[in-house]
Amino acid sequence: MTITAIITLIAVLVIVLGVSVITRPRHSSTVDFYLAGQRVGVATNSWAICGDYLSAASFLGVAAAVYVSGLDGAWYAVGFAAGFVPVLLLVAAPLRRYGEFSLADFLGRRLRSDAVRLHSVGVVQLVILCYLIPQSVGGGITWELLVGHGIFGLSPYSTGVLLSTAVIAVLVAAGGMRGTTWNQAVQFLLLFAALLWLAAMVSADGFRYGEAVESLSSQPLMNPEFIDGSWELTQEQNAVDPGQSAVFGEPGARYGQLGQVALVVTLGLGTAGLPHVMNRYFTAPTGKAARTTTVWVLVLIGIFYALAVMMGTAARDIIPGAVREHPWLEELTEDGVLRVPEHALPVLGRIYGEEAGLGLIAAAALIAAMSTVAGLLLASAATWGHDVYERHINPQATQRQAVWVGRASTLLAAGAAAGLAIALRPEAFTPAMPSLVATMVTWAFAIAGSALTPVVVLAIWWRRTTAAGALVGLITGSTVSIIMFLSASFIETSPLRELMAAPTLVAAPLAFLLTILVSLRTTAPDDVDADWVIMHGTAADRHAERLAQLTLRERRRRKEDRRAR
Amino acid sequence: MTHSPQEDGETRDTPAEVDAAFRTQRRVALTYFIVFLVVVAAFPFLSSTLDWWLESQLIGDLSPGFLTVAIGLYVVFAAIGIAAATLSSSVESQMLGAQGTHNTEVPGPDSSAGQR
Repeated sequence: MTITAIITLIAVLVIVLGVSVITRPRHSSTVDFYLAGQRVGVATNSWAICGDYLSAASFLGVAAAVYVSGLDGAWYAVGFAAGFVPVLLLVAAPLRRYGEFSLADFLGRRLRSDAVRLHSVGVVQLVILCYLIPQSVGGGITWELLVGHGIFGLSPYSTGVLLSTAVIAVLVAAGGMRGTTWNQAVQFLLLFAALLWLAAMVSADGFRYGEAVESLSSQPLMNPEFIDGSWELTQEQNAVDPGQSAVFGEPGARYGQLGQVALVVTLGLGTAGLPHVMNRYFTAPTGKAARTTTVWVLVLIGIFYALAVMMGTAARDIIPGAVREHPWLEELTEDGVLRVPEHALPVLGRIYGEEAGLGLIAAAALIAAMSTVAGLLLASAATWGHDVYERHINPQATQRQAVWVGRASTLLAAGAAAGLAIALRPEAFTPAMPSLVATMVTWAFAIAGSALTPVVVLAIWWRRTTAAGALVGLITGSTVSIIMFLSASFIETSPLRELMAAPTLVAAPLAFLLTILVSLRTTAPDDVDADWVIMHGTAADRHAERLAQLTLRERRRRKEDRRAR
Repeated sequence: MTHSPQEDGETRDTPAEVDAAFRTQRRVALTYFIVFLVVVAAFPFLSSTLDWWLESQLIGDLSPGFLTVAIGLYVVFAAIGIAAATLSSSVESQMLGAQGTHNTEVPGPDSSAGQR
């Protein structure tokens, strides 16, 4: 293990442990454990949502996608950022005002149905598992690259999976939402700082964005491929204009026109159904604060992805010329092109900051994976501990018992994810699924956007939504999306395959339609007006704002009294 | 389960007021959502119909298409977010809680002054 690796790991541990100790929970209540007392401010919550949302797939994956496919990779980042526009317009404020613990709890109470709640728990768990496994895989891969050694006879990969998942599981179980919120906020700021540092270094070295894109686009796009035991550069074919070569600055290196639309719809609609992101909205003090938080998220996440796209372009432009000065690049590249595109940011870090730069980017990647794992584990705990245990198994549970069940379910979910991540070693899937991490994250977005988003949006905006309609929507959306993305692996490259791999364009409209049709043929819950007053009224917001004003005024008065004495 | 103040009977909006505000909010959300869809769908459409979109050079020598995907769409998303959030909050403050703005006194713990 190098000194850089040791310092990196110690820094990551000190940050997460330090934040967890400082922000440890003060009360043993479910509102405190799952919702951080519903007092998370706009700035902190927006940082935490960014930390929660920006996984290793966003940090290393977006730059890698741009590096390998140019403009089509940038389009991938657009899909991730676009997701928060529907969240802001359709979900954030009403969801918070309804004031539950999780998406499943929201749907169960709004539609007066335990069946809807339990089906939602099933869909939520599927989404969490699809998202959690690739994060654990990411932890294993980062450990393998950074440390390269295993402990207790385990392989480096298994050691990385187990350690990264175990550390964050224990911290989440101990710190609950309060500790997780501050951890995610600090982790996002570190991630952002690492990207800003890299952008500053690259720009100071004379990188010119426009010139780089123009120069890269003047020749066909070539990427290394492992063929018959050796690496060689192969020309990328244009999916938009068949028979032509793909070019860095134009669409077509990865997606055809249908694929472009299908991907953005899948990522865009999926965000509003991601349980770990949506659960964060319940921690805001008011609906208005939840809405303002989303505006901050849109701004921060836009800057983040714009920088990630720029860094992917910079890596493609700079690395070929850097091989002569940096001989260590030879074993990572083929004719100046990286064999593993996910190495783009770590390699840039090492070029501009040597071992310390590599350590900084590796720490940021590890932190990105850990903050997302934390959010996922907490969302899993909320569904098992609150939606299943408190609501169904032991409705008489004390707050203390409910919190302990939440803690136990955090550890169980982490154990399941780590076990599956070790069983599903990335190499085992190639060449059927070249990138397990990216593929499974897209699956999570597909299930969330096809099953949960349509039902949640209708429950918020259409009074006639019924439990039967929601059940049909949940089942149809999840089943159709799963069948489609699993079938995509067996179809040859074509527009149909692109549509099947990102199935929300088909599955979500179907779920919307069937939810509406079945709802129209069944009876809506009584007293929906009361729900409407809570979701779309602002009395609770005004009350909370008045209490906050009162508290501030009282604090100011006490301060003035102390000064007067 | 957490109880909102409405359930506790501390402050209330009437169903009629909320319904009017809800209809306006729905119009705002749908309008901005359509703008969002048009902006996103315009990229593949322009890429396939206008050569200028990918071949000319605009700010910083980047083509309009690359500039849109690399920076422009994030700026548009943020602008949609800021405009929609501002309008939604303004609609809520104008259509709901009007009585509360006239009565600036903070109600005491056992007061029902906040009820509408």
